[in-house]
Amino acid sequence: MINEKPTLKSSLKAYLYLLPMLVISLTFNIWPIISSFLMSLYTKYNFYTDKVDAMGFDNFVYLWNDPDFHLAVRNTLVFVAGVVPVTVILSLIIALLLNQVKWLSGFFRTVYFLPFVTSTVAIAMVWNWIYHSDYGLMNYFMGLVGLHPINWLTDPHWSLLALIIMSIWKNLGFNIILFLVGLNNIDKGYYQAAEIDGANAWQRFWNVTIPMISPITFLVSVNGVIGSFKVFDQIFALFQGQPGPANADLTIVYYLYQKFYTEYKYPIAAASGVILFFLILLVTLVQLWYSRKHVHY
Amino acid sequence: MKKSVWGKSLLGAAAVVLGLGLAACGNSSSDKSSDSGKKVTITFWHGMNGPYQKALNGIISDFNKSQDKYVVKGTAQGNYTALQQKIMAAAKSKKLPTIAQTTYTTVPDYVSNGFITPLDPYMLKGSDKLSQSSLDDIYPAFITSSKYEGKYYSMPFSKSTRIMYYNPTLMKKLGVDMPKSWEDLEALGPKLKAQGVMVMGFDSSFDMELEGLARQAGNPFVSKDLKANLDSKKTLKVTNMIYNMIQKGEAKTAGEDFYGDKSFTSGKTLFYFGSSAGISSMKQNAPKGFTWGTAPLPTYNGKKATELAGNDIVMFKSASTDEQKGAWAFMKYLTSKKETIKWAEATGYVPLRKSAVKDASFQAYLKKNPTSKAAVDSLSFGFQSTAFKGFTEYRNDLLDAVDNMTTKGTKPETAMADLQKKTEVILKDAK
Repeated sequence: MINEKPTLKSSLKAYLYLLPMLVISLTFNIWPIISSFLMSLYTKYNFYTDKVDAMGFDNFVYLWNDPDFHLAVRNTLVFVAGVVPVTVILSLIIALLLNQVKWLSGFFRTVYFLPFVTSTVAIAMVWNWIYHSDYGLMNYFMGLVGLHPINWLTDPHWSLLALIIMSIWKNLGFNIILFLVGLNNIDKGYYQAAEIDGANAWQRFWNVTIPMISPITFLVSVNGVIGSFKVFDQIFALFQGQPGPANADLTIVYYLYQKFYTEYKYPIAAASGVILFFLILLVTLVQLWYSRKHVHY
Repeated sequence: MKKSVWGKSLLGAAAVVLGLGLAACGNSSSDKSSDSGKKVTITFWHGMNGPYQKALNGIISDFNKSQDKYVVKGTAQGNYTALQQKIMAAAKSKKLPTIAQTTYTTVPDYVSNGFITPLDPYMLKGSDKLSQSSLDDIYPAFITSSKYEGKYYSMPFSKSTRIMYYNPTLMKKLGVDMPKSWEDLEALGPKLKAQGVMVMGFDSSFDMELEGLARQAGNPFVSKDLKANLDSKKTLKVTNMIYNMIQKGEAKTAGEDFYGDKSFTSGKTLFYFGSSAGISSMKQNAPKGFTWGTAPLPTYNGKKATELAGNDIVMFKSASTDEQKGAWAFMKYLTSKKETIKWAEATGYVPLRKSAVKDASFQAYLKKNPTSKAAVDSLSFGFQSTAFKGFTEYRNDLLDAVDNMTTKGTKPETAMADLQKKTEVILKDAK
C-alpha cells in the first residue's frame, strides 16, 4: 500500500479520511483566525449586526499610542523570559533526578504531575493564601531565613514575580514527563561507549544527554513560549479578576479580554490579538532557525 | 476489500455532514419548542447564586403560581461577569433571553448596540401600567437611574448601599465615640495609629466612598450633563484626605483579601466601609463572639451621601410582544411591595419602595435584625453615578487610578488629572 503510486482514487480517499478533521479545524481554527484578522481592520463596526462602515489601520495606531498596551507587551515579554528558561532547566534537573532514583520515583512523578491536572482556579486560590502578606506560607519561610515579608499580591514590584513563580510550578509536571520520555529513549550504548572512553559523569551529561534530548528541549521550549505568551487564566484567578495591583500583571491576552468583554471595543481587541500572533510567530521562527543548528534528531 | 473501505468512509463522511447539519437545525428550532402548553415563556438570566438564587427562585415560582398566562424560567449564569459575557455572546448569535439582570451603567451601551427596548409602552401606558403613586413610591435614586435619554429602560432589582461597620468592643477599649463625620474619622487617625489600630478599612478599592465624598464636597464625578469633575479642587481635596490616611498607615484597602471584612473582624481596622449586601456574609464569617454593628456613612462638609450599587432588570428587543408583556408583568411583580420586602428580608438587599420600608412587618424585621437598619436609613440620601456610553471603560480607568494611588503611591493630582483626561475622551464619544 505504502509504495503504491498515488492515483486520483487514492488521493480522494485520503482527502475523505482527512475531511472530518479538516472541517473541524476550518470552522474552529482557520475561520476565526481569518475573521479576527479582518476585524482588526474594521474602524467603524457594529459587532452585533456585522455591519462594517469603514476599514483602516486606526486600531493599530490606537495600540501604538496606548500606554496600557505597551505595559501589556512589556509584562508579557518579562513573563515569557522569566517562565520559559527556568521551567526548562528545572524540569530537566528534576527529570534527571527522577531518572536516577528508582525508589519512589512513581510517587514523585505523580506529585509533580498533579499541578498539571488540577484546575488553575484551585491552584490560584491555594497560591493566593501562600502569598498572603499576613498569613502566607511564603512570607513565613522567608522570615525563617531572615528576609523581610513581601506584599506579593499587592505590591506592583513583586506581583509579576509572584505570577511567574506560580506558573513555573504549574508548568513543571508536564515538562518533566516529556523529559523523562526523552531520557528513557537514549540508547544506553552511548553512555557505555563514553565510559569506555573515560568520560566522567559531567562529560557524559554534557556530550551525550544534552544533544540526545535536544528535540525534547526544543519541543518543551516552543510549547512553553507559546503557552506563556497566551497567559491569562492564572492572572484572572490569582488576582480575583484584576490584572494585578496597578496593572502590574496586565498581559496582552488580559488586555484583549478587557477590551473585548468589559469595554466593548471589539476591533481593538482583535488588533491586539493580531499583534500577539505576530509576536509568537516571530519568536517561534527564531527558535526554529536556532534549532536547525543545535537540535539533533 | 477496497469497496468496503470506500463505503465505510463515505458513510462516515455522510454521518459527519448529517450530524453537523442536524446540530445546526436543532439549534434554530429549539427556541420555539420550549413553550409549555399555551403559556408564554419568559426567559430570565441572572447572576445570583447561593442563598440569593434560592430566594429568587422562590419569587419566580410564586409569580408562576399567581397567574396562568406566563411562565418565567430563571437561569443562573454564575456571576455578574459571566452573565455579561453570556449576554454578549447571545446578542451576537441572536439568542437573547426575554429579560436579564444587569447594572444600570451598561444601559447606554446596550441601547447604542440596539439590544434593549424601553419599558415605557408597558410601564407608563396600557392596562398593566404603574400608577403615578406607585412610581413615586419607588425611591427616587433607583428610578431616576432607570431613565436614559428620557425613557425607562430598566427596573431596579437587587440594590445595596455603602454602609459603615463598626466594632463596639474595640471602640470602648480605645475610648472612641461614634464618629459623626469624615472629619471626625480623619482626626481619629493619628490617635488610633499610636495604639496600633487603623481607623478605617475599605474593600479592594475606595472608589465608591470617594465618589460619595466628592458629591458631599460639592461635585459629582460626572455630572448629569456629562461634565467630568475628577481633578476639580473639591474632588482633589477629598482624594487627598483618603490618600494621606492610607499613606500614613491610618487606613487601608483590602488588597489581597478583596473585601475589608477580614481586617475588620481581626481588629486591625476599627471601622469598615462595605456594601450592605455583605451583611449576610459578615453574619456567616465573623468569628464567634465578635460583636459588630452598622451605621450609615458619616457626613462630610455637613452633607450625607452614599452610593447605591447593584443590578436592574432590562428587557431585550428581540422578545415578542407577548413575551415583553409577560416580562413586564413579572418585573412589576418583582418590584411590588410584598415581593420587595420578601426579597430584602431573604437577602440583605434593600427594599425598593418607601411603603415597603414603612410596612409594619418589615419594621418588625428590622427590630429583630438591627444590622439591616443602616442601609434602609441611607436610602433617602443614596445616589447613583451618571451612566453614559463607555461607562465600563471609564470605571476601569477609575479603578486603575485608585489602584495606582494605593499600591504605587501615585500622587492624587497626577492620578486624577490622568483620569480626567481619559474620561473627557470617553465622554466626548458618548455625547
